[in-house]
Amino acid sequence: MIALESVSKRFGSKTIVHDLTFNVERGEIVGFLGPNGAGKTTTMRIIAGFTTASSGRVTVAGYDMATHNEQAARKIGYLPEHPPLYDTLEVTQYLRFVARAKGVPRSQFGSELDRVATACRLETVLEREIYKLSKGYRQRLGLAQALLGKPEVLLLDEPTAGLDPGQIQETREVIRSFGEQHAVLLSTHILPEVTLICRRVAIIHRGRLLAIDSPSGLQRASEQTNRVTLTATAPAEALRAELLPIAGVIAVAINDVPGDARVLNVECQTDAREGVEAAIARAVARRWDLHRLERQQPTLENVFLRYVSQAPSEAGAQ
Amino acid sequence: MNGVLAVYRKELLTYFRSPIAYFVLAVFLLGTGYFFSYNMFMSGSASMTETFRNMGILLLTVSPLVSMRLFSAEYSGRTMELLTTLPLEPWEIVLGKFLGAVTILLLMTAGTLIDLVPLYLFGNPQTTTIVAGYIGFVLLGMACLAVGQFFSALTHNQIVAALITVPVLLSFWFIGYLQNFQASYALRSLLGYLSFALHFADFVQGLIRSEAVIFFLIVSAIALTLNASYLQWRR
Repeated sequence: MIALESVSKRFGSKTIVHDLTFNVERGEIVGFLGPNGAGKTTTMRIIAGFTTASSGRVTVAGYDMATHNEQAARKIGYLPEHPPLYDTLEVTQYLRFVARAKGVPRSQFGSELDRVATACRLETVLEREIYKLSKGYRQRLGLAQALLGKPEVLLLDEPTAGLDPGQIQETREVIRSFGEQHAVLLSTHILPEVTLICRRVAIIHRGRLLAIDSPSGLQRASEQTNRVTLTATAPAEALRAELLPIAGVIAVAINDVPGDARVLNVECQTDAREGVEAAIARAVARRWDLHRLERQQPTLENVFLRYVSQAPSEAGAQ
Repeated sequence: MNGVLAVYRKELLTYFRSPIAYFVLAVFLLGTGYFFSYNMFMSGSASMTETFRNMGILLLTVSPLVSMRLFSAEYSGRTMELLTTLPLEPWEIVLGKFLGAVTILLLMTAGTLIDLVPLYLFGNPQTTTIVAGYIGFVLLGMACLAVGQFFSALTHNQIVAALITVPVLLSFWFIGYLQNFQASYALRSLLGYLSFALHFADFVQGLIRSEAVIFFLIVSAIALTLNASYLQWRR
């Protein structure tokens, strides 16, 4: 439904988006993950047709955004980073304007407004002026606007920003239910959100796509180096000499436990081979007291940080 | 056309849900009422000629207050992102907004009709001259609003939009008076042709000249076309 082919965006001499290529299919929710300023919003704007790409091709629902953005716009529901609301209007007036502009037939206005108001829990504020709404309601009204007209493609730029935990939960449910029949691209910097609702994750940093895969796929890919942490009562140098020769151990870091001079915290970098932690446990327990040993699964957070920290730094980028 | 209608209705709602429309209408009607009674008592004749001249100048200063928010407010309210990504062509946005502003202009015009009551009650005015004057007034207003709307698209700041529009409109108004300083015939006719004031003067005299009608329509069309192309280019 959404296809980007080596899309770049330059503002003057600064390149904000480098050569992005990825697809979002119908029935999947793709999370767009990256630190602030990574180029998420710019990419969203290019797909939505607010700005055009400097080079490359964007197609939405089969329409090329460069030549047929009018037809594509009918298929897109877009929630920008800042909900685009007319403060002086009432909620219903605003939704009617968007429905009319999207070409929703007049006879369906009532049912469409009811549908999005229910999905976004706006029933109680329909007659209220928009400037009187709280931040959570504004965000949900922005989402409601995007859902009007049953678009096939949903672009949501940080849809849960500014919501309280309960509202976040509800909004995720709305997005998840939409993702079953639509193509959803959702940008966020909240990691758990991605694991909860996205089928695939695209990690973007400094305008470059670093990885795109399912959350578990990303975790597997980064398991080439694992971490094993253990706590033991042992002399530091002897312990290091014992651990380093074990096949699979790459590096060992030893830290004192505050308040107890004889107990050490040890962090071993290992490769992905089977049985490394068992070999470490045997080696330590043979000579000293082993209190705890744990193999650390990489969380998505670690995966993300690893990708971001390994990214080639851009010459001249800020 | 649906898109034009959607934008048009949104604009009208916005005008009347904020104080701008009421304020502009009040200022304009107050000013016109003052000029009307002043002219009536000064000349003692049942005619709108002088009042139309004053209304023309008043319109130049008041119309930017109507047009300044058309695009600037969309930029500063961050709603331009919605407007651009909705299935609306640039010309639909431009036309919808323009028609919204013209509706305010028509309301302003309708409000001045009250001046005609004493005119017809106590005098014997020339109806054709008055009709011509009103047609000229609306055409002049359309040109002013189209120019103001274009400048509004160039800046995020409504005040800046108005501050650019007023001097531009005033120059178009007074440019005709430069004729007296030009020796060259071509330059004189060019200055005369560009003048809002000279074209408007025809209507005030009771003349509906097709050249003057076309002039104001062309000015509006050029400004609106520039406006739509600018929106297209901005993407």
